[in-house]
Amino acid sequence: MFTRLSKHSLYYLSLVVILVLGFLLVYNSSNRSFQIGTVVVTTFFYVLWGIIHHLINHDLSVKIVIEYILIGAFGLTIIFFLLSTI
Amino acid sequence: MKEFFSHLFTPKESNNHRAKILHHANLFLSIVFLLLTSFFIQTVKAKFPSVLGIQVNISSEELLTLTNKERQSVGVGSLIFNEKLSQAASNKAQDMFEYDYWAHNSPSGKTPWVFIKSSGYRYVYAGENLARGFSTAEDVIRAWMASPDHRNNMLSSNYRDVGFAVKIGKLNGEETVLIVEELGNLNMPIAKGKVQEIAKAAKTNVAVKQAVSENREPVINSVSFSSNITVAIVFLFISVLLLDMIIVEKKKIMRFVGHNIDHILYLILIMVLVGILSKGVLI
Repeated sequence: MFTRLSKHSLYYLSLVVILVLGFLLVYNSSNRSFQIGTVVVTTFFYVLWGIIHHLINHDLSVKIVIEYILIGAFGLTIIFFLLSTI
Repeated sequence: MKEFFSHLFTPKESNNHRAKILHHANLFLSIVFLLLTSFFIQTVKAKFPSVLGIQVNISSEELLTLTNKERQSVGVGSLIFNEKLSQAASNKAQDMFEYDYWAHNSPSGKTPWVFIKSSGYRYVYAGENLARGFSTAEDVIRAWMASPDHRNNMLSSNYRDVGFAVKIGKLNGEETVLIVEELGNLNMPIAKGKVQEIAKAAKTNVAVKQAVSENREPVINSVSFSSNITVAIVFLFISVLLLDMIIVEKKKIMRFVGHNIDHILYLILIMVLVGILSKGVLI
C-alpha cells in the first residue's frame, strides 16, 4: 500500500488538493446552493481524476468507471439524504 | 450469521475477493435504499412533526444576552431590546415564509429597511442579520461571530437598539427555523463614555421584555437523527473499504478494481461535509 502511495504520490497529492479545496469552499460559504454545487463539482473531479489515473496506469475498464461513478453517486446521495431529512 | 457478515464485509473467495457490499449491484442498492429511506423520513416528518422534527430552543432574551456578552467582551456598549425592531424582524421572517425566499431583499425588491420603517422605527443606522436552521441561541451567535460581516453588524457601535424574531415555517417545501436580527439607532452614534450608560440601561430592560421565542422539542430531533445515520453509514463503508484494502494487500491478491484509497479519501470528505451541512446557514 505504502509503495503504491509513494509511487503515485503526485496523483494522491492532487486528489487530496481537490478534496481539501472542496472542503474549504463548503466550509467558508453560508450559501446552501453554492455548498451543494461545490459538493457536486468536487464529486465530478473525484470521478474524473480516478478514471484518468487508471487510464494512465493502463488498467482502465468499464467496471472501474462504473465503480467510481457509483461511489460518487453514493456520496451525493448521502448529502441529499442529510439535507432532505434534517 | 458470521459467515454472512464475513461475506458482506470482507474479501474472500466466495465474493470474488471483494467485500460483497462493495459490488456494483450492492452499491446501487445502497443508493436506492438511502433514497427510499429519505422519502420515508420526509413523510414521517411532515405527518408527525411532534415525533420527528426540528428541535428549536431559542428565545430573543437569550439572543440579546449572548449578543451583549460578545459586545462587552470587545468593549462596545450593550444593545437595548426594541419592540418595534422585533416587530420588523417578525414581519421579515413572515414575509420570507410567505413569499418563499431566503435573502435580505425579497424577490419583489423589498429591502430590510422597508420592514424597519413600517414598524415605526425611524433609524439613522440600521442593519440585519439572518440565520436559518439553528437549534440553539448559542449556535446562532457562534455562527454570526464566525462570519466577518455578521460579526461586524453584531459588534458595531453604530447600533443602540435590537429586535429579534425566531419563527418556524416552510421554506422551499422544507420545515425550518428562521432567526432574524434587526439592528438600529435612532440617533447619530455617541461617544464611548456614553455607551457605558446604555449598557446599564440595557441590563435593566432585558429581563422585563421577553419577546418572541420558539421552543419545540420533538421526540426525535431530525437534525441529529439524520446526521448520525449518515455518519454511521459512511463510516461503515470507509471501514469496509479499509478492511478490504488491508486484507487484499496482505494476501497479495491481484484484482482489477478501483483504488480503495481514493474512495476512502472521498468518503472522509463526505463525512466531514455532513458535519458542516447539518449546521444552520447564514446570509
